[in-house]
Amino acid sequence: MANILVADDSETILLLMRTRLEMAGHTVETAEDGQDVIDHISAGFVPDVLLLDAMMPRKSGIDALRELRAAGHAVPALIVSAHQNRGDADAPTDLEVNGYITKPIDFDRLLETIVQLTA
Amino acid sequence: LRIGFAIGFAVLAAMAVIGVGRFIQQRQDFEDAIARSYQVEMAARVKIAQGTGHGGARAAVIREGQHRSELRDQISSETRDTALLVAAGLIAGLTGALLLFSGLISSLRRPLEQLVDAAGRLAAGDRSARVDVGGLSETATLGAAFNEMARELEIEEGRRDELDRLKDEFVLTASHELRSPLTSVQGFAELLMLDRDSLTPRQAETVEIILDNCRHLVRLLNDLLDLARSDAGRLAIRPQPTEVAPLIDDVVRTMRAQTEAGRQTLSESIEPGLPLINVEPDRIRQILVNLLTNAHEYSPEGASIGVSARSLGAEVEIAVTDNGPGIPADQLDRIFERFTRGDAGLTQRVGGTGLGLAISKSLVELHGGSIEVESTPGHGSIFRFRLPVAATAAIDGGQSRAAAEAS
Repeated sequence: MANILVADDSETILLLMRTRLEMAGHTVETAEDGQDVIDHISAGFVPDVLLLDAMMPRKSGIDALRELRAAGHAVPALIVSAHQNRGDADAPTDLEVNGYITKPIDFDRLLETIVQLTA
Repeated sequence: LRIGFAIGFAVLAAMAVIGVGRFIQQRQDFEDAIARSYQVEMAARVKIAQGTGHGGARAAVIREGQHRSELRDQISSETRDTALLVAAGLIAGLTGALLLFSGLISSLRRPLEQLVDAAGRLAAGDRSARVDVGGLSETATLGAAFNEMARELEIEEGRRDELDRLKDEFVLTASHELRSPLTSVQGFAELLMLDRDSLTPRQAETVEIILDNCRHLVRLLNDLLDLARSDAGRLAIRPQPTEVAPLIDDVVRTMRAQTEAGRQTLSESIEPGLPLINVEPDRIRQILVNLLTNAHEYSPEGASIGVSARSLGAEVEIAVTDNGPGIPADQLDRIFERFTRGDAGLTQRVGGTGLGLAISKSLVELHGGSIEVESTPGHGSIFRFRLPVAATAAIDGGQSRAAAEAS
């Protein structure tokens, strides 16, 4: 089972994510925005998977991931987007993203993807 | 040019006036001379008649007769000269006028050609088209008026683009903002359903209703977003060579649960050996889901729904058929317009957004294809759409090439 760092600016969504992921046996750490994610990882927390909301105040998931990639972190990352299509504004082509999850979240698919990424 | 024209005209007029004046003067002089000659002759004849005249008077009569004859010769030669002068003046004036006229024409033609060219570019969408017309003050004024019009058009266009952008941004933001709470509602309702056994049947039913409405809201949001993008010309597709059969299989599989719940049959008929089509698979899936959802929702229990695909040379035609109630002729024309739906009685139990067909049409056209509908009330409907065949024939080669193009 995986160590997952979930970032979303909505506490309700974080609670939902934590509940569903923990029900599936994963360990969950939460962050309230992209900067919080960077701080967690800088503090030595090493997740198996990152689950980042694309749009967050202060620092978006995209920006946080870009910083992490630039710093050499290869941790698998899924971008959670409110947009239906990954081709939207929040999908830069030059950034290494391991998958896109759209809101509302299809948890069966999300759990399956996490298993694949951590296999 | 205008000054040249005026000078030419003045010269012409002066020559005519001088010519006519000279003619009148000559004629006057001639008549005076003739009259004087007659007077002298008459005086001589009077002297002869009175017997007071002598040989000198007779000679005077003869001389005056000769003098008048000379005067007549002189006047006719002078008149000829004057006529020649006037004719020469006229010819010179006319030639000058012609030259000036052709000059005027050519000085009009260049600005006009420029205006025609700029108007053409403006009409073709180049809002920066301007003219630089000098020359006559009339063409310069016309040029300035044209430039002013083009400038206002450009400003207007910019304002419209800005409004479009704001609308698009608004829909995007609204869609995003609505999606987060919706995610929570749907997510927690699903959480309840995971523990279904501990719910009473009534509670379970309630949660199902919440979930149904969540799905409906999601569809509505997705459709609105697509339409807003389509309106703004920003509904982008990433076509790639795609196999038709697996795409249809996939959609039919996901639709099966719904049609079986309505005891409807859902059949597939795909021509073997179809060429690859150049499409974005998710978008074609979306169109098929829209059409099949309509067929399912508008048809009664036990109805037959079918998906078929056949090759038409440069295109592949996919058709969704049902033997449901059909679409009345007066609604058929507007069926692809947004928020157009079947009759009100059906709408009550049909959960669509009224946007599906409008989006399907946009998407098909975005792929360079076409969509049409045929329906007989009481016997069912057929929705057919055609999509372009991919340029590459081989499956493997096609896909790797598309991947290379996409990167």
